[in-house]
Amino acid sequence: MASDRNNSKKWSIEEKPIKIDKWDTAALKNALDDAAKNVLIKHHGYTENHSLMDGRLFVCTVAVAFAMFALIWDYLRPFPESRPVLIICVSSYFVLMGALTLYTTYKERGIFLVALEKDRAGMDPDNVWTLSSSLRKYDDVYYICMTFTDGKTKEMRKTEESKSVACFFDEDGVLCTDQYEPIIEKMRESLSSEKKGN
Amino acid sequence: MSGLLSFDFLDDVRRMNKRQLYYQVLNFGMIVSSALMIWKGLMVVTGSESPIVVVLSGSMEPAFHRGDLLLLTNYREEPIRVGEIVVFKVEGRDIPIVHRVLKVHEKDDGSVKFLTKGDNNSVDDRGLYAPGQLWLDKKDVVGRARGFVPYVGIVTILMNDYPKFKYAILVCLGIFVLVHRE
Repeated sequence: MASDRNNSKKWSIEEKPIKIDKWDTAALKNALDDAAKNVLIKHHGYTENHSLMDGRLFVCTVAVAFAMFALIWDYLRPFPESRPVLIICVSSYFVLMGALTLYTTYKERGIFLVALEKDRAGMDPDNVWTLSSSLRKYDDVYYICMTFTDGKTKEMRKTEESKSVACFFDEDGVLCTDQYEPIIEKMRESLSSEKKGN
Repeated sequence: MSGLLSFDFLDDVRRMNKRQLYYQVLNFGMIVSSALMIWKGLMVVTGSESPIVVVLSGSMEPAFHRGDLLLLTNYREEPIRVGEIVVFKVEGRDIPIVHRVLKVHEKDDGSVKFLTKGDNNSVDDRGLYAPGQLWLDKKDVVGRARGFVPYVGIVTILMNDYPKFKYAILVCLGIFVLVHRE
């Protein structure tokens, strides 16, 4: 473990402030998403559940595998002979691309974090937190949505926030964590205090 | 890493976890795969091993000019007729040739042999064929021209004339896709 730490140190840049190109929408969204994720995972020690992302990775991997197989097969047996295999590979590829679109629009729906909060006593099932966000391309309003599903009652609660990205970045494009993290923290508290109220 | 050079443009990549890095590579793979699968799909639909070609010479003027993009089909059951424009390969030449069919001989067993000529050339193509070859065969055909888009292929010609320029562009785009997150 210790040597692992050392190795990753060269690559890790955790101490460096997050600076991005503030005109790049994708970079803005990624920076805010990562920071929100940080609050739940690092500060509160919830465990991240990767299954949603893994599903997408799986579909992509299979699709790319089909394409690579078609490429190799067509190279080994030039065209007219490879036709049936090409038909299978090409149609599977486009079906998988369709499946990927459906998966991201209906299953992921912008959710970038599913985190499990372990029950302290270890008796009840885990509480589930999810974070989803959106930032449209030529828009400055970042929308973030947090949901909480109680492990025991299966009851789901949700809170949303929309704010201009200008509130969270300075002029040079450095993320102001002290401006952003309290908002996420407040959202989290509002959801967990309701829980205690019950 | 924090030596003399600052690799600021790599910050995005350095912040990624294993899954994000893998997705980044997959994303690159999917861009390449999509292009590849569209091409292979066209091959299947048109039956031609190279469904789109660029005219590289002026030998078919005024029908086609250098840089025109041709769409080809190569359906086995359609017979080759005089006057059609075919794209064919000759042994010993890398680049396929686009010329018009001049003479056709068909036999009852279905075998075909034909002669071609460029509209703008003063002689037929026998000088272009492999030494000793007098006729083209069905297996030499890459496809028959079904449609064309004028001048779009000039980019391809430029890229082929300056291969270093082509590779430079490809490498730059590749790096951009790999380093840039979504």
